[in-house]
Amino acid sequence: MIEVLSDTALTTVQDLGRFGHLSWGVGSSGAMDPLALAAGNLLLGNDENAAAVEVQVFPFAVRFHAPCGFAVTGADCAARLDDQPLLPWWSGEAAAGQVLHLGVPANGIWRGSRAYLCLAGGVDVPCVLGSRSTQLRGAFGGHEGRALRQGDRLRAGLPGAGVRPTGFGLVPPALAMPLLSEGMVAIRVLPAAEYERFTPASRDAFWAAAWKITPQSDRYGYRLAGPRLDPVAPIELRSHGIVPGVIQVPPGGQPIVQMRDAQPSGGYPKIATVIDADLWRLGEAPIGSRLRFLESTWEDALAALDETARWLAKMRGLTTLQRGRAGRA
Amino acid sequence: MSLGPPVISLLGTSALLFEAPGETSLPTQQRIWALAREAGRWPEVRETAPGMNNLMLGFARPPARVDEIAARLQAAWAAVEPLPLRGRIVELPVTYGGGAGPHLTDVLAHTGLGVDDIVAIHTAPLYPIYALGSHPGYCYLGGMDPRIATPRRKVPVLCIPGGSVSIGGGQTGVSASPGPSGWNTIGRTDRCFFDLHCDPPALFRPGDSIRFRVERVIR
Amino acid sequence: MPLKHVGQIAAWLAGTDIALLELRGPGGSLTLRQHDGSITADLDENASCAAMPPAPSDIVTAASVGVFLHRHPLHEAPLVHIGERVRAGRTLGLLRIGALLLPVPAPRSGIVAGVLVAHDTMVGFGARLFELLPLQP
Repeated sequence: MIEVLSDTALTTVQDLGRFGHLSWGVGSSGAMDPLALAAGNLLLGNDENAAAVEVQVFPFAVRFHAPCGFAVTGADCAARLDDQPLLPWWSGEAAAGQVLHLGVPANGIWRGSRAYLCLAGGVDVPCVLGSRSTQLRGAFGGHEGRALRQGDRLRAGLPGAGVRPTGFGLVPPALAMPLLSEGMVAIRVLPAAEYERFTPASRDAFWAAAWKITPQSDRYGYRLAGPRLDPVAPIELRSHGIVPGVIQVPPGGQPIVQMRDAQPSGGYPKIATVIDADLWRLGEAPIGSRLRFLESTWEDALAALDETARWLAKMRGLTTLQRGRAGRA
Repeated sequence: MSLGPPVISLLGTSALLFEAPGETSLPTQQRIWALAREAGRWPEVRETAPGMNNLMLGFARPPARVDEIAARLQAAWAAVEPLPLRGRIVELPVTYGGGAGPHLTDVLAHTGLGVDDIVAIHTAPLYPIYALGSHPGYCYLGGMDPRIATPRRKVPVLCIPGGSVSIGGGQTGVSASPGPSGWNTIGRTDRCFFDLHCDPPALFRPGDSIRFRVERVIR
Repeated sequence: MPLKHVGQIAAWLAGTDIALLELRGPGGSLTLRQHDGSITADLDENASCAAMPPAPSDIVTAASVGVFLHRHPLHEAPLVHIGERVRAGRTLGLLRIGALLLPVPAPRSGIVAGVLVAHDTMVGFGARLFELLPLQP
């Protein structure tokens, strides 16, 4: 059992997402960095899709009211348990009464923007429409269909001392699978239906620009600042399904990348879509940072998906091996 | 909208978008419903999400070859018969204008029509529900009179209340919960659209029809 | 080392990019090597820990094979400095096995007197990593 101590905003319970209900207008939600959520679960021997707490605003603190295994992945937020510093992407065990404190992610070798607090057995909230992710718009799923507040208590699926071996970690995927362009986060995209209907100068600018992630960026969408993108002629589309990663360009000329809580349909022109395999990179890119888009191909995009699948398989193998060794120690 | 073959495009590696040619129409939407039913059985497809005369296929696993599934989709479209879903008629009482319809003045400015004309034109038709999308329980409606069409807003509004009745381009719709919108809100209704205790949780579906009834007009 | 575990460990190993895994116990040692998709196992029941000269009590050794790290891959500062006072259990360094990171803990309280291996060096089981001057309780 953990109690939220921070008077925090924008912290929600998420798993890998809710799929299969687009035809009712229910989008996927789910972790902005699914690799971090899965890895934190793997460190604890949980199902990869177990629910966790996604923290976006720091500092953030919880008190453990009972002994429990936990892991913190995602952004390096100088985590500490009481006064003991914890390494990033690491698992540990808290005793009753201990406070886990996540600080503001600092500039370093890699700066993420979201952290995942996983608990042994997963965060125990009801499964709604097949998932434990928070559906904020519909006000269901996760913890009471809303962001966490000070005083909220969450249960772990497998509380108790010594339930799972802890005290080891993983090298984050940002280091294992780096993707940078001139020092900036690079995001691979596939052109979308209206790509050709933008002016040649706008298309060139889309690829060349160092897009800045503005403060008006969140789980619904990332509003980017940079050169104005103009269609050759005004485009008015019929409403159609969209997915996280779709980059819309409203008439204002500044692109908005739809993210996990975006509406599952829309009608603004689409210039490109972020490939599935790079959504985690975007989910960790901090507000105020710059990014560059790289044009991918269908084949390269599938290869990138294979790469992340292989990375996850390695993490599965390594953590299973380690928990087995530690169990016999 | 020029006539031509359907357009198939990629939405990253997660989904495929199929857009039917021609003017938006109910017979075309009925063929979209049939296409959704057919494509929903394909092993690569996790789910289908019809839109306004279009269909999104969400992949369970992206296929190795896009051109193969695109060809299959074109062939299925050529072969499907319209699926004539016929549901209930739902009447929604609406308060137009004032705080309930903050963008009614933008619709007046764009169309050059008066408040009473806009309300009369908006409440006249029986609107078939073409598809759900946008947010849980939200219904996309066909059949709006083009005289009151107003382009989507240049900058989307951060939050409009649930029950907001809006116009975006040539379409009208009602939001089922509070949230952002790029459409022009002209009124509000109190009806519920999504209930997790029901199966399916969306209370209205493609094939149902909606009629707006004037409850009140705030000038 | 019960033989029935060897097959399972080999299967786990196959899912990683680890080339060499060495396990030692009172009964002997087991070495697994992975190369070009196949795994070979050498079980040596005659070798024992007694064959290896015991390290002096103020030396911290590696509990497994791996790449020794002074600092966490995300950090620029080392985990400990020479001259630093540490409590028992404090993480002095890390051993990296593929993407797995294992702590090298201080076996007792003391002062870090020396770091014996360079950062990012492959080490074997029992390699001497730190010199730790014990503190009197």
